[in-house]
Amino acid sequence: MKYFFYSLLVLLFSCSQDNKTIKLKGSDTEVNLAVQLAESFHGINDDVFVSISGGGSGLGIASLLNGTADLANSSRSINDKEIELFQKSGIPIDSFIFGQDAIAFVVAEDLLIDSISITELSGILSGEFSNWSSLSLKNLPINIYGRQSNSGTHDFVKKKLGIDFSLYAKEMNGNAQILEAIKADNSGIGYVGAGYVTHGGSKGIKVLPVYLEKNQQAISPLDAQMIAAGKYFFQRPLFQYYMASSYQKIKPFLDFEKSEAGQKIIQSAGYYPVK
Amino acid sequence: MSIKKREKTDWVLKQLFKATGLVTIGLLGGIFIMLIYNSIAFFANISPIDFFTGAQWDPGSAKGNYSILPLLASTGLVALGSMLIAVPLGIFTAAFLSEFAPSKLQAVLKPIIEMLAAIPSVAIGFLGIVLVGPGIAKIFGIQNGLNALNGSILLAVMALPTIVTISEDAINAVPKSYREASLALGANKWETLFKVTLPAALPGLIAAVMLGLGRALGETMTVLMATGNASAIPRGFLDSVRTITATIAIEMGEVPYRTTHYFALFAIAAVLFLITLSINLLGEFFANRLRKFHA
Repeated sequence: MKYFFYSLLVLLFSCSQDNKTIKLKGSDTEVNLAVQLAESFHGINDDVFVSISGGGSGLGIASLLNGTADLANSSRSINDKEIELFQKSGIPIDSFIFGQDAIAFVVAEDLLIDSISITELSGILSGEFSNWSSLSLKNLPINIYGRQSNSGTHDFVKKKLGIDFSLYAKEMNGNAQILEAIKADNSGIGYVGAGYVTHGGSKGIKVLPVYLEKNQQAISPLDAQMIAAGKYFFQRPLFQYYMASSYQKIKPFLDFEKSEAGQKIIQSAGYYPVK
Repeated sequence: MSIKKREKTDWVLKQLFKATGLVTIGLLGGIFIMLIYNSIAFFANISPIDFFTGAQWDPGSAKGNYSILPLLASTGLVALGSMLIAVPLGIFTAAFLSEFAPSKLQAVLKPIIEMLAAIPSVAIGFLGIVLVGPGIAKIFGIQNGLNALNGSILLAVMALPTIVTISEDAINAVPKSYREASLALGANKWETLFKVTLPAALPGLIAAVMLGLGRALGETMTVLMATGNASAIPRGFLDSVRTITATIAIEMGEVPYRTTHYFALFAIAAVLFLITLSINLLGEFFANRLRKFHA
C-alpha cells in the first residue's frame, strides 16, 4: 500500500512536468515523418519529449482548439470555419511550414496509360467518366480509391480540382490500404502522398505524371526539381499550427525541423524541403 | 447485532441499489435526450423530408446533401446479409448442440463458440481486409472485395455467439415431454426437431435473432474497415457501402462543432439508436414470452 502511494506520487509528479512534453496531433500523412523527426530531436534534446498521434488533419486542429495538443500537423490549410472557432474562443494561432508534399496519382502497372491531364482527373474523380474507355483505353469500369473525408489529402485533392468526389469512390483507411488495393485492381486509380510511393515499395503500381493542358510537359510528383520549382499541380505545404501562447514551449522542436538535420530527415522520408 | 442496526443497514443498502439502478436508467435517458436535442437543431436547418427521401449523403459538397437513405440502405443491406448467414448457421448449431451432440463434445464446443465474442472487432475487420475481401474478389471475379458481402460475412461471425447461446437456451427450455410425445407418436428425430422442438422454441429463437441483429446494426469498426465506405446507394451485395456507424466514425473527427453537419451526425445516430432500441425491445419481448410460456 505504501509503495502504491509512492508510485502514485511519482505518476502525479510526471504529469506535473507536462511543460516538457510537446503533444503533436493531426495528419496521418505526416505522422511517420513526425515520428522520425521527434526521435532525432529527442536524441539532441533529451529533456524534451514529443508525443505524436495521428487521426487526420481535422482532428489535429480540433485538438488544438480544445487544448489536448500543443502542435497540430495539417496537410491542408486551416479553413474559414475553423478560424472562426478559434476567434470565438479567443485563441490566437500561428502556423509554420516545415516541408512540402506532393500527391501522387497511382494506377496498376499494367494499365496502358503513361500520364494524365487535370481535366481527365476531374472527370474520373467526380464520377463523370466511369469507364477507362472515356480516356480511349480498354473497356474497363473505373474504381476510385480515395481517403476518408477526415483526411487532409482528401480535402486537398477535392479543393484543388474543384469537384465533389463521386459517390462510388471507395474511402480507404490510409495510404497503405490504397496502394494494396491498386496493386490488386488493374482498373483502379487512387491518390497517396508521394512519400508512400517511394518508401512503400512501388511494385505493381505506376505513378502518373500530371499535365495541365495538351502539349504541356507532364510532371511527376517524384521529380524533386520540379517540386522545388513549384511546378507540380498537386503539391502542398505541410503545415503545423500552434497556439501563439505556447510558442516558447515548442520553439526548440520547430528550430530542429528548420535545421539542416531536420530538412534532411524530411527529404529522406519522401517529402520535399521548404524552398 | 441489534434489530435497529440491521434495519438501518437494510435501508442503506436498499437505497444504494436503487441509486445504481436509477443511474443506469438516467444514463440511457440522458443519451436519448442529447441525441434528440441535437437532432432537433439539425431538423431546424434541413427538412425531414429531404433527410428521409433524398438520395445523397454528401455533407462536404457545396450544396450539402444530407440524406440518410444511402446510409440506411447500407446498414440494412449489411445487417440483412449477416442475418442470412448467421441465422441458419446459428440455429442449426444450437440445435446440434442441445439435441444431438454428446455431452462431452457439447462441453467443449459451447465455450469455443462463445469465445468468438471475445475477438476484438478491429481484429475481425483486419481479417476482412487481408483475407475475406481478397477471397471475395477472387471468387466473384471482381476488382476489389471491400463490399457489403464482406461486411455481412464478418458481422455474421460476430453475431453468431449471441444467436447460438440464446437459441440453445431456448431449445433446451422446451420440455422433454414434448419430444417424448412426438417420438412416441412415431415421428423420427428430424421430424421431432423441425416440427415440434423448433416451433416450440420459436419465441426464443426470434429473441436470439433480434439480439444478434442488434449487434450487427451497431457494429462500427469492422464495417468501417471492410466495406469500402462508398456513400452511394448500394445496388447489390458486391457494391461498397457506408453504414451509419462508419459514417459517424469517419466524419466526427473533422466536423466543425455546432454546424449543420455536426448536428446531422447526431440525427443519424438518433435514427440508429431508435432502430436498435426497437429491435432490442422486440427481442426482449419474445424472450419474456418464452419465459412465461415455460414457467
